[in-house]
Amino acid sequence: ETLVKLVSQQRIEIQKLRQGNNLILGFSIGGGIDQDPGQNPFSEDKTDKGIYVTRITPGGPADVAGLMMGDKIMQVNGWDMTMVTHDKARKRLTKKNEDVVRLLVTRKSLEEAVKQSMGGFPRP
Amino acid sequence: MPAEVKQEQSPSNATSLAMMQEPQEVVEETVTIEEDPGTPTSHVSVVTSDDGTTRRTETKVTKMVKTVTTRTVRQVPLGPDGLPLPEGSSPLGSYTDSIDRRYMKNGNDRFITPQATSTLTRSYNNSYNDSYGETPESQYVRHYGLHDGYADLTDNYGSLSRGVNFRPPRYPYLPNSYRPENSYTLPIRKDDYGHVAQPQVPMGSSTVDLNRSQPERFQPEPYGLEDDRRSLGPEEEEPYELEPDYSTANRRTLPGANRGRTHREPLRDGPRIRGYPDDPIEAELIDERHPYIHGMYSAPLAQPERGSMASLDRMGGRRSPSIDSIRKDPRWRDPDLPEVIAMLGHPIDPVKSNAAAYLQHLCYENDKIKKDVRQLKGIPVLVGLLDHPKSEVHRKACGALRNISYGKDNDNKVAIKNCDGIPALVRLLRKTNDMEVRELITGTLWNLSSYEPLKMVIINHGLQTMTNEVIIPHSGWEHEPNEDSKPRDAEWTTVFKNTSGCLRNVSSDGAEARRRLRECDGLVDALLHALQSAAGKKDMDNKSVENCVCIMRNLSYHVHKEVPGAEKFQDPSALQAPGSVGPQRKKKDDAGCFGGKKAKEEWFNQGRKNGENDKNYDTLDLPKRTEPSKGFELLYQPEVVRLYLSLLTESQNYNTLEAAAGALQNLSAGQWTWSNYIRATVRKEKGLPILVELLRSDSDKVVRAVAIALRNLSIDRRNKDLIGSYAMRDLVSNLPSGQQRPAKNLEEDTVVAILNTIHEIVTDSSENARSLIQAQAIEKLVAINRTSQSARETKAASHVLQTVWSYKDLRNALTKDGWNKSHFQPTVTATPKATKNGKPGYDDTTLPLMEKNQDGYSTIDQRDKDCKYKASDVSVDLTEREPLKNDTNRKHYIRSNRPAVSLVDACDVKPQPVDSWV
Repeated sequence: ETLVKLVSQQRIEIQKLRQGNNLILGFSIGGGIDQDPGQNPFSEDKTDKGIYVTRITPGGPADVAGLMMGDKIMQVNGWDMTMVTHDKARKRLTKKNEDVVRLLVTRKSLEEAVKQSMGGFPRP
Repeated sequence: MPAEVKQEQSPSNATSLAMMQEPQEVVEETVTIEEDPGTPTSHVSVVTSDDGTTRRTETKVTKMVKTVTTRTVRQVPLGPDGLPLPEGSSPLGSYTDSIDRRYMKNGNDRFITPQATSTLTRSYNNSYNDSYGETPESQYVRHYGLHDGYADLTDNYGSLSRGVNFRPPRYPYLPNSYRPENSYTLPIRKDDYGHVAQPQVPMGSSTVDLNRSQPERFQPEPYGLEDDRRSLGPEEEEPYELEPDYSTANRRTLPGANRGRTHREPLRDGPRIRGYPDDPIEAELIDERHPYIHGMYSAPLAQPERGSMASLDRMGGRRSPSIDSIRKDPRWRDPDLPEVIAMLGHPIDPVKSNAAAYLQHLCYENDKIKKDVRQLKGIPVLVGLLDHPKSEVHRKACGALRNISYGKDNDNKVAIKNCDGIPALVRLLRKTNDMEVRELITGTLWNLSSYEPLKMVIINHGLQTMTNEVIIPHSGWEHEPNEDSKPRDAEWTTVFKNTSGCLRNVSSDGAEARRRLRECDGLVDALLHALQSAAGKKDMDNKSVENCVCIMRNLSYHVHKEVPGAEKFQDPSALQAPGSVGPQRKKKDDAGCFGGKKAKEEWFNQGRKNGENDKNYDTLDLPKRTEPSKGFELLYQPEVVRLYLSLLTESQNYNTLEAAAGALQNLSAGQWTWSNYIRATVRKEKGLPILVELLRSDSDKVVRAVAIALRNLSIDRRNKDLIGSYAMRDLVSNLPSGQQRPAKNLEEDTVVAILNTIHEIVTDSSENARSLIQAQAIEKLVAINRTSQSARETKAASHVLQTVWSYKDLRNALTKDGWNKSHFQPTVTATPKATKNGKPGYDDTTLPLMEKNQDGYSTIDQRDKDCKYKASDVSVDLTEREPLKNDTNRKHYIRSNRPAVSLVDACDVKPQPVDSWV
């Protein structure tokens, strides 16, 4: 059985939510060039130092916008995120003067996606 | 044309109704069968479709259709609907053109030509010669004029004249009387009413002439026609068959004069010929029987090949060239669907049966036509014919329904049900002794049973009938066996296979369906008898056995809650604990959303406590019975363990293996006395090594079912110890290592099931945890925990690791191997990952054991069908495994052979990665 890797690129726009004095997106990130890429549970290539979505607040802005855990963030509002430090990425995402962030993400769904597309039969 | 039978397994099928599954996830097998007309017998071979989801069985049938359904209606080369003409134009191409032109010009009238009417008539045109001579350009005349009116009536009685095989009754089967070229392809016009005085032409001569005159017409092309041996059989006894010039249509028509003439009229006179629409009577008749007359051209023509395929030469294996010429000749067409459906209501029986046979043929593998038949309201008519007294009619109707009911279009199935087709089929099953009809009925029911909403309807109308008429008699079981008679073996007939397949499907429809089947008089007894017969004869790979085991597995699901009087057998220790659970089990709808965690944990702990109590069951005596068990009680008697183990040992059929393991899984679940007995019996019957061996199966679903069975069996403490000692390596070897999937490439569901089984085995047993370490599982578990793409796998691995780390006496050894605490902690993202698939808590190992869903409901991987379980690959040394009962050497075994851990970062674990909320 061949596992086919499906990688899709998506643009996701997230409207920040005001929480007290903060604007939040409702997800957490991991990764960055200053982090140990081997610890990243989502990357296929264990030398990948990209920024990944590690958690999502259910019902939060990111969740609503369709961001998914494991998504790799390629760009934030046009800024490249594939070669940045963890903190740089965090700052790009949390600019106070931006209500909206536009993300370019890649999402891979390995065997599950393949099973779905090939098997064609929904599970109950 | 070799007919083909198809069997197809529909999508979400056959799976094991595992004990842990919620009812709606019950796995079922849905098999549908499609058959070409006149393909009663067949050899089946398995074909796997590309997507691996659909299995089809194609059958080459040697028997051919008995009746010719080809209809010889004039065919227009290119109809208004733009359908391309069949290729291979005849030598008469130019002529064709002229006809076409005329048709176009005449519009609707063109069908009024005699040829058109002749579709239903086969009268013989005595004036044929004359007209032929007069109008040489209209060769079509010859076609319709000719007819097999006098041909062998046995096959030609149909409304559809089969241009083929014309055989004058006088010289039946004499080769030289056979005139291939003759105009059998010609539409038969028949104006004469039946046997009533037809203008008979001396058969031989006229046909001969015709044939001679048109030799060029016959251009044989390979069509694979074969003869129908049955046509020689005695069954053709219908009186009309003996009548030479039997006309199928127009019989009740009247003034034949006009008509008699018309059919021999040349085409140019066509529009006038019948006097339609001026003559009201005529018009009415036409409306009734020939809907195509009004705009039939707008209806799609049947595919030429299919139509002509239906015409089979029944003359001893000889092909009739005329068939080929029909196909080639663009001027002839097959009847279209509205015409065929209209013929189902024809007053003459052979017309009905031929039309039904032709419909069956048209529908074969053609979803579009099936849908069209439905939309043209053909299904209620076919269902109505099931009650027809003539076997030829109800047989063909049943054949058509079988094809229509096959496939993914459930609307067709619903349409059959909506016109009370299910009770009609069941009624016919009770009535008929014709094996072919019974096969068709049960095949249709099998097809229908693949659609969820019809299952209960089938149970309501057909369960007891199918049991009494098929299952019991073919199983060899006897209600009150005669003392002298020796027990009979099961007969694996097609009828039995179909019926058991149908019951297999309906048995997955939830608690009520299971109750009905369990309580169906004689059903469980007969199924068990059949399986024991199979085990006795070592004949355990066939489909019928598979079906029976699947039914047994499904009926074993939740026996501890669902059978009458189950409460009397509930394990008292289970009932004591508050929050333990007998009755508060989840209902169907709750799947996946388990109740409060607290209750779950209590329950789980309860289960654990019971597990400890199970030590006692080794000494438990099985209950003494004053009378033999019967009915559903047989499902969970410890005697069945031996049967399932026998199947697990001998069968090469993955589905059977999965089902047998699933049955043990179901029976060993639950907190009642019988499951205690079952768990102990599996051990005493030496079943554990058999199951462990199957962990090496190539089949994903077999491995999964066996793993879950082992998990349930380990509720018995002694089983747990034995499994921990002897099964650990085989369990671990099924786990993926690091980024690599093992060669088997097991599905996520299977990996999760194995992890959960391991978790159960190491819980409350540091000895088993030690075995796990010895099996070099930690490296794999850590890898899964950290890098698996599957949240469910990650979570399940994490639970195992946490449990292992909880044994303080093992930590020293683990540390020496290079592990530290961080390896045994859940990864940061573990919890959120679990929600990824929308199955929160689905594989939560803290869930009560017996209520837990088997992770994933298993879908049958059709590919397994093709690759048999290879016993040779599983070279388990049984003698080495025998000591399962004797574990004195266990510690020794465990201490030896320390794992060679070589994780790169084992000694230098970096801090957990930074994770920032934004």
